[in-house]
Amino acid sequence: MNTNRFSALRRPLGRAMFAATPLALAMMLAACGDQGAGSIVVVPAPAPSTSAPTPTPSTTGTAVKYDVLPCFNQVIPGTGGQTPLSVIIPDTLKLDLTKASGFPNGRTLTDPVVDVTLAVLFLDVNAGGQSPKTLANIPLDPPGNDRPFSLTFPYLAPPQGTPAVASGVGSNFDFRSDADSAYVNVDRMGNPAVATALISSSMKAAYNDANPTVDATQKFVPEEASELTKLFDEIGDDLTGLGLKICAKTS
Amino acid sequence: MQRPTSRFIKAGGGGIAAVAALLLVTGQAARTADHLDPPARTDPAVDSTPDTPADIADVFTWYDATNVNFVITFAGPSSPTQPAFYDRDVLYTLNLSTQKAGTTADIPITFRFGKGAGANDFGIQASGIPGVTGTLEGPVESTLTKSGVSLRAGLFDDPFFFDLQGFKDTKSTGTLMFNKTRNFFDGKNDTAIVLSIPRANFTTSNISAWFTTARFGGQL
Repeated sequence: MNTNRFSALRRPLGRAMFAATPLALAMMLAACGDQGAGSIVVVPAPAPSTSAPTPTPSTTGTAVKYDVLPCFNQVIPGTGGQTPLSVIIPDTLKLDLTKASGFPNGRTLTDPVVDVTLAVLFLDVNAGGQSPKTLANIPLDPPGNDRPFSLTFPYLAPPQGTPAVASGVGSNFDFRSDADSAYVNVDRMGNPAVATALISSSMKAAYNDANPTVDATQKFVPEEASELTKLFDEIGDDLTGLGLKICAKTS
Repeated sequence: MQRPTSRFIKAGGGGIAAVAALLLVTGQAARTADHLDPPARTDPAVDSTPDTPADIADVFTWYDATNVNFVITFAGPSSPTQPAFYDRDVLYTLNLSTQKAGTTADIPITFRFGKGAGANDFGIQASGIPGVTGTLEGPVESTLTKSGVSLRAGLFDDPFFFDLQGFKDTKSTGTLMFNKTRNFFDGKNDTAIVLSIPRANFTTSNISAWFTTARFGGQL
């Protein structure tokens, strides 16, 4: 990878981004994506100081503290009152057949779930100019799959390459008939990325061995709040530096 | 415990790391959606006996005018030279709850794979599908239908899209760097189960869904 290219992009982009509104930011990043190198989103380093060198102050007393509770409890527009917490607790995909399909009402193949998840967990999605699609509209990640999906069953695209495939015929298959109790749990999944992003390594096994009934006791909420707070500690200032309004309260 | 050895059932996989950028910032392993998670059971970089066939990648559900559709991918992302994983020792369960709380599966649909007589013959058996009496079973890589329900298992393109390299760059530079033209899952495959059930087979308009895998006789 050509790191010099990134360095060259970082400086001019950075000065503009600090003053950009979210809408302007999105337009700027979209334009960047049209320059042939893709939409590289860069959070710029602070401009070098021109004043005399001074000792580096301790950050112990001045570090920003993030309260992520407002993020978990913010209403996600267009969902009939759903919040990030009600989406991830319990950790299931929730589909309401009276509302339009699309994450977080179920999940279609084309939904940009990473960008939407990041938006509802980090941004104030009810602030002016912001929404659950703020990051997806830029977009941060690729906006779609590399192969088109089928509009009809089975919807998924054919496999890449020329791998060996099963014959597609046969009968009298040797299926196991053992009771479910003969099997030991390995993995579970409801929402995309949430278990991965908000559950630390030490809790992975317990989380995957739990179930929605356990989720509903809010057993994992302290863990999820703790992990989200750590993430804010890392990038909260970067997001505000981009002109975005975060959902966490700062002190 | 006897393990299947067919060419269509392969253990292990690339040491793939796919993560949210933010996870990389905090130094955690690189995963997202659910590929290679939990790592202690499914990630070759962490586990010397990764249970690739039981590793869920993604779960999707949506509805159209006629059906409620479910897509579950697992055992990926795999290279385009790798065949699918049809492991008869793994129990796959699509848990559906139509209750208000959405926490208990009143409609558990189970899937099992089995070997046929021919070298490349593999089948899938689904039990518990609402509106279907008995099981729906037949060969993989073939669309099976019964009572208005459609079922297909097979090897497909990995439907997930995500810029892993951007996340790696984020980690190495300390800045958020994404490239919308760069998808780590380009050119990768998954094994998948696709199921369409008529909307009329559900008695409520609210469905909660989650997917689980379990291995016969214990984890690897």
